[in-house]
Amino acid sequence: MQKINKNVVLALLSLTSLVFLLFQLYYYKFYLSQKNGAVFSKVRGSQSGQDSTRWHVVRKFLGLISSHNIPVYLIDPLILGLVDKDIEQIRSSPDGPSPECKYFCAPRDFTTFALLDKTWKHEMGLFRTAEKMGFQWLKIINKDPRLDGMDDLSGIEIPLHYIFKLASHAIHLVVFYERSGNYLWHGPLRLKQHMDRKFVPFRKLHFGRYPGAYEKPELLLVSIDDLKVQIPKNPSSFLEEMSHSRFLECRYREARAFFQLYPDDASLDAVEFRKKAKSLLHLAALTLNNLGVKFWLSSGTCLGWYRQCNVIPHSKDVDLGVFIKDYKADIIPAFQKAGLPLKHKFGKVEDSLELSFQGEDDVKLDIFFFYEEDDHIWNGGTQAKSGKKFKYLFPKFTLCWTEFVELKVHVPCETRQYVEANYGPDWKVPVKTWDWKSSPSNVQYNGVWPVNEWDDVIQIY
Amino acid sequence: MDEWKPNPAIKPHKKRSWYLAWKYKLMNQRALRKLCQTGAVLFLLVTVIVNIKLILDTRRAAYEEEEESAQDYDDEMLNVEVPRHPVSNKKVLDVEVYSSRSKVYVAVDGTTVLEDEAREQGRGIHVIVLNQATGHVMAKRVFDTYSPHEDEAMVLFLNMVARGRILIFTIKDEGSFHLKDTAKNVLKSLGSQVAPFLSWRDMWTFVGKKGGEVYGEKHAKSPALSTWGDPVLLKTEVHLTSVEDAECRWPDTELNRRRKRFCSKVEGYGSVCSCKDPTPIEFNPDPLKDNKVFDVPVAVIAGNRPNYLYRMLRSLLSAQGVNPQMITVFIDGYYEEPMDVVELFGLSGIQHTPISIKNARVSQHYKASLTATFNLFPDAKFAVVLEEDLDISVDFFSFLSQSIHLLEEDESLYCVSAWNDQGYEHTAEDPSLLYRVETMPGLGWVLRKSLYKDELEPKWPTPEKLWDWDMWMRMPEQRKGRECIIPDISRSYHFGIVGLNMNGYFHEAYFKKHKFNTVPNVQLKNVESLRKDAYEAEIHRLLGEAEVLDHSKNPCEDSFVPDTEGRVYVMFIRMEQEADFTTWTQLAKCLHIWDLDVRGNHKGLWRLFRKKNHFLVVGVPASPYSSKKPSSVTPIYIEPPAKEEGAVAVPAVAAAEQT
Repeated sequence: MQKINKNVVLALLSLTSLVFLLFQLYYYKFYLSQKNGAVFSKVRGSQSGQDSTRWHVVRKFLGLISSHNIPVYLIDPLILGLVDKDIEQIRSSPDGPSPECKYFCAPRDFTTFALLDKTWKHEMGLFRTAEKMGFQWLKIINKDPRLDGMDDLSGIEIPLHYIFKLASHAIHLVVFYERSGNYLWHGPLRLKQHMDRKFVPFRKLHFGRYPGAYEKPELLLVSIDDLKVQIPKNPSSFLEEMSHSRFLECRYREARAFFQLYPDDASLDAVEFRKKAKSLLHLAALTLNNLGVKFWLSSGTCLGWYRQCNVIPHSKDVDLGVFIKDYKADIIPAFQKAGLPLKHKFGKVEDSLELSFQGEDDVKLDIFFFYEEDDHIWNGGTQAKSGKKFKYLFPKFTLCWTEFVELKVHVPCETRQYVEANYGPDWKVPVKTWDWKSSPSNVQYNGVWPVNEWDDVIQIY
Repeated sequence: MDEWKPNPAIKPHKKRSWYLAWKYKLMNQRALRKLCQTGAVLFLLVTVIVNIKLILDTRRAAYEEEEESAQDYDDEMLNVEVPRHPVSNKKVLDVEVYSSRSKVYVAVDGTTVLEDEAREQGRGIHVIVLNQATGHVMAKRVFDTYSPHEDEAMVLFLNMVARGRILIFTIKDEGSFHLKDTAKNVLKSLGSQVAPFLSWRDMWTFVGKKGGEVYGEKHAKSPALSTWGDPVLLKTEVHLTSVEDAECRWPDTELNRRRKRFCSKVEGYGSVCSCKDPTPIEFNPDPLKDNKVFDVPVAVIAGNRPNYLYRMLRSLLSAQGVNPQMITVFIDGYYEEPMDVVELFGLSGIQHTPISIKNARVSQHYKASLTATFNLFPDAKFAVVLEEDLDISVDFFSFLSQSIHLLEEDESLYCVSAWNDQGYEHTAEDPSLLYRVETMPGLGWVLRKSLYKDELEPKWPTPEKLWDWDMWMRMPEQRKGRECIIPDISRSYHFGIVGLNMNGYFHEAYFKKHKFNTVPNVQLKNVESLRKDAYEAEIHRLLGEAEVLDHSKNPCEDSFVPDTEGRVYVMFIRMEQEADFTTWTQLAKCLHIWDLDVRGNHKGLWRLFRKKNHFLVVGVPASPYSSKKPSSVTPIYIEPPAKEEGAVAVPAVAAAEQT
């Protein structure tokens, strides 16, 4: 009897907890999706319900955009990460039915897609259809950066992000724009005052904290979880690219203010120099990119970008920085092949390496190699006639993308610190006489090369 | 026992205790009992865990929504969007209209919507159209009915205004001298009682609804010929109707939504806003096969001439092979109406803060527009540059598609232009023929990106230089001996009469009789012969077969060219050195073609048509083609007339007309 009682008690308890559980489920569903809970009620158990909601929302969204002939591709880092593990299999069987929902059911709040701006016509019909399908949507617009560098153009705000919300899942559609320099750009996501801050948990978005720059991806049409979707052909390299895609816009407003104070040099010489510097930079970028050597704008070229969004006409050379860990012996032959003979080579890979190439008509390309220490980064200089060594110290920095003379290039993200280290607090004032041994504010005397090494560390052609 | 099968997946239900008891009695197996108990305990545990998780999740979600306001994502600027027109809920508008000799003004609800007290300007009848539902100004016009034909323009305009709109009239200075009966009758039909009797220097104001009631009218008669009527001030009230009544009931489509927005804001665009049978705003011309300019951006340079822009965009969007997505309209200034026109056609428009004045302003606007175009379309190698006062030929893009590869491959080319400066009704004949010319005609042309980015943009005239951009582009420092390709029959037509360097007389004399191609799908012939060297061979071939005209006759006379068709003739004129255009200018004058500066030449050679014969003019001895002159022929010399009267003093300015 006692045992039966125990059983009865247990059963009763189970029953109550079941009721409680159902109530909780109902409450949860109600709370998270005030309107569109239809999918939910059919499914028991929270986890599988969530999973299929995601899949359903993605499927609905793909249906929506394909009905309007809008080509989007998947850039969701989470799903691409999963896809990447099975990429061989997915590539080889593009149409095979999948036994389980492996990718689109993975737990997450958003699914992120990309849209190339020029491939659609901004038809409002899309949004009306979306609403009919039960989506709530949000559009984030902002100024067009492609026109930002220009005085006095206005009236142009472009869509940067769209968010489509259905039930407990949201689709984040990032709009990519082609920009001068043959790359794709997406904007930051900034909410305007009147916008619903609680529309989705914006913080969890994978795109939008900063603007980003990407290469144009090659796409692949695949079928995953029974949904046909375009993905970057090589998901792992896309994810790699994404991890350091942060883009800095040139400070056009400050540059305009600078030119108000110091009117631009529009002489024929200046025009000619800028043209040469630009083509030299393009050639250098092509050569280094082909070798896979990461580089950034350094010294005067960096200052030109930061201060006036252009080449400084009296600078007379183009300066690039490269981390010594990225040094490759092929650099010199590659430049020679590109028509830029080595002019001089100072230092060695272990210490103070600096390469100089001769461009067209006395325009010189300097490549400085940077050495990372625990708390700073430095590069070296060598005086040819005395064998004296100099050291230029910089605070640590990371690299960001930017656009400069129609080129997508790296600059230190912490540009101001970088420029200030090099040029001091008065970097805003143009200086025409510059001595690389004494003018920089971060220069340190670094001894003398031993005479027996001179042949190696001071090479002048 | 036999019929009962244990179902492990069975749901727990109310009869659980009974079932357990029953099973216990039946089986009385310890192991099974234990199993059941453990199962129940496990289930309880799971429930508890799931419950806790759910509670946590719910709380977290709630917390996030509360706390995690996306502050990172806040826009740093407070972009509070202000609607372009505040919508007033008032049902009655107070309207004040003033008419006098030297000043007119109109105020609606205390806001002055028209004020004109400039001297020697704004004479005639001022007309304002208000939206009957919102009270917004939809159109403002002034018709100088002191001068002839202006009343006809006014009638045309009034007929275009939709029924139900509110019309406000007021006279400044004089408005009756050339106000004919037709116009007076139209005014009468609007409800004016005074209009039929309006006479010399009367002052008059009138407010009425088209096809409806009259809200007020005031009139002051001029007492004598030499004096004006007393100023009149009309104060009246206008009752607004509902928005629904003020709009047409077009089917709800994306196009009609654009149309509705446009038609509720502006007036004077005719049938585009007609309720019954609106003219289309989407044209869907045939696509071009193998269209090489489909991805070439088109920049339309515009000012504040919305009616022109409307006409221009209509013709542009009707041209075969047009790609509306590549079109951007650049508006010089913050004008609303041109932007409305751009939006009507679903195109993108960009406004540009005016910099500098006059010609320099236009030049800065060009620079900004071209730079923006190449920024917006970074892939483009070319841009098509158009202006708001051009009609675009139906085969404009076909013409460019067939010729653009030359611009890409032939370094000696400066541009491809749709306009032949010398292509008048009587001097152009062959739609499939192309020329190379040393002058840059503009008026619908293609610019190479490398030319712009590497050469023009960096040294573009700065705002303080009052230069014309096109004159600057024609200067040898910029052109560097390169040439443009043009068609014999222009693919654009310049219809602008009002403009910076333009007036009615000038337009009549130099633009009205310009030939304009209306034939679709013209197959250009011998495009390859337009390349630098091939063209020389072509010219030598032409000169070889050309018959030399009788140089004893007067070249201005019609009889100079025989009454034949399809022949090639050549004449030789005197041209001492490369810049000696004395005889050419006189010849151009008597042939009634462009004579304000030298256009359309190629190494001292001009090609045109006379009486349907190809007509070549060679300048001797400056032209390298002089060698083709038979020794017996003396080049013709025409003496320029001694200093003429004022009219010729204009050319310096007039020649600059491209705006």
